[in-house]
Amino acid sequence: MKPVGAVDLAYVRMQSADPAASARFLADIFGLQTVPARHDDIAFRSDDRSQSLTLAAAGESAVGMELGASADFDRIHSDLQRDGHAVREASTDECARRFVRRALIARDASGNTIDFVLQPYRSGRRFFATRDAGVTGLKCVGLRSLDVAHDLAFWRAIGNVEESDRVGEIAYLRIDSAHHRLALYPSRRKGLLYVTFAVQNLDFLMQNFYFLQEHQIKIVHGPGREAASGQAFLRFVGPDDQVYCFGCDMLEPDAARHRPRQFTFDKNALCSWGSECQGVPELQAPA
Amino acid sequence: MIELKDLSYVRVGTQQLDAAEMFATKALGLQVGERGPKSVYLRSDDRAHTLCYYEGDPAEHTVAFEVTDTGCLDAAAGTLEALGHPVLSGNAEACAARKVRAFIAFRDPTGNSIELVVAPERSGKRYFASRDAGITGFSHVGLNTTNPKRDEKFWTQVCNARVSDRIGDIALMRVNAIHHTIALAPAAGPGIQHVNHQVTSNDDVLRSYYHLSNLKVPIVFGPGRHPTSGARFLYFRGPGDMVFEYSVGVDEIADEETHRPRQFGFEPSSLCMWGSKTNFVKT
Repeated sequence: MKPVGAVDLAYVRMQSADPAASARFLADIFGLQTVPARHDDIAFRSDDRSQSLTLAAAGESAVGMELGASADFDRIHSDLQRDGHAVREASTDECARRFVRRALIARDASGNTIDFVLQPYRSGRRFFATRDAGVTGLKCVGLRSLDVAHDLAFWRAIGNVEESDRVGEIAYLRIDSAHHRLALYPSRRKGLLYVTFAVQNLDFLMQNFYFLQEHQIKIVHGPGREAASGQAFLRFVGPDDQVYCFGCDMLEPDAARHRPRQFTFDKNALCSWGSECQGVPELQAPA
Repeated sequence: MIELKDLSYVRVGTQQLDAAEMFATKALGLQVGERGPKSVYLRSDDRAHTLCYYEGDPAEHTVAFEVTDTGCLDAAAGTLEALGHPVLSGNAEACAARKVRAFIAFRDPTGNSIELVVAPERSGKRYFASRDAGITGFSHVGLNTTNPKRDEKFWTQVCNARVSDRIGDIALMRVNAIHHTIALAPAAGPGIQHVNHQVTSNDDVLRSYYHLSNLKVPIVFGPGRHPTSGARFLYFRGPGDMVFEYSVGVDEIADEETHRPRQFGFEPSSLCMWGSKTNFVKT
């Protein structure tokens, strides 16, 4: 039976040196709604999920991927073990902090923590933003990769992860109809390069641009448009030097017909409008 | 009533014809249609020209509108003279310089130099841009006014413009379905406040933002979005401090019968709903 694999980007867990400052930032900038805590993690909602971003009291940053079937849960557990990746099942407490029924906590080839989860909880209450930023949910995550080829092998083992396009060595990975939910960027270190929340449309993206300027938030890339994905984006820096992103209008390729394209590694492929990235080496390309 | 059919061209004096041509092609993206000894004709669409720079006083700005035929032109001349606006009829040389069959020139109540033209030439050759700005054509002008209410009356009662929306006392007026062809701009004296060319997409507006910024062309407003017309825009400064605008997505007023102009307060959010701020219009 063809594996269902990863069906959604479920959440991001982040470490912060100053969780209160990060929490304020996430509420003020993204308008994320805090979730009443039963533990010392600070969890946020951005859509109908119980949480989509959590400031973890302890442990590493992680990206949570929702699995479609419990058969995949067991298969991925054994496949990752067979391939020599660290992987273990999450404890009851770890699942509670993630608002999921079951989870695998694994490491990709670069050492990034990737959670594979079953049944992430949905909230009975509608998401109500704390600011009219137009956020519709967690859209995608950029990951730093020490070796994109090895990390691609990790993701291929999941079963349904497809490469949408490449920009130089940067790989955009597709699991659903969106051009990508994950992107791997060659880097000297591992980690979460950026977290992107989708906004309703370009009006919200541009309103957020001027909002960030007025609030003297450092914008590092954009407003721009990714050539491969069509996503209009705005990347900026928050506490802990973490890069965040607003995105909109990402293309949905026709999976039956799309063949991965190779884009030249230059600034135009990273932004077809011509913006250049300041200060984030993984997003800097020759002019 | 004087029936304006369309905006036709803009004429601007300059003491630096070469620099003006360079800006119009390399920065703005217009195509040289023809060069005279003391003038350059620039194209932005299927018209023979929509912008003419000529050796002259940079403070001289002229806006031309097309009327149906010489009968309308004569009637317009009569109307204007009766109202106390002296009218000059173009001679053969002046018509040739404007690539029209006939025209009259007068000044609007603010003193803006306006021409009404018959049969402005179209070119058989397709417009080919000087740079990839995505221009689809010359679309509207911001016109200085020393008295917005008086000038609105002129354009809507002596001429056939209709008010689409107002920002404070400033009227945005249409002569066809396009939301506005004339935008009145409060000023101390006559002149063109800005020249607008339409572009194909939002991508064009944002691409030009980065391209012009890299060329060190001053960006005076935007990238932004007008709540009145809905258009996404970018304003930038060219030779003689003339301001140019790219925009895309100007609304159309489909229903002439029932459209009622909206009133926006005279404040920054009425000019840009994204939050861009400017000194270009003082709010």
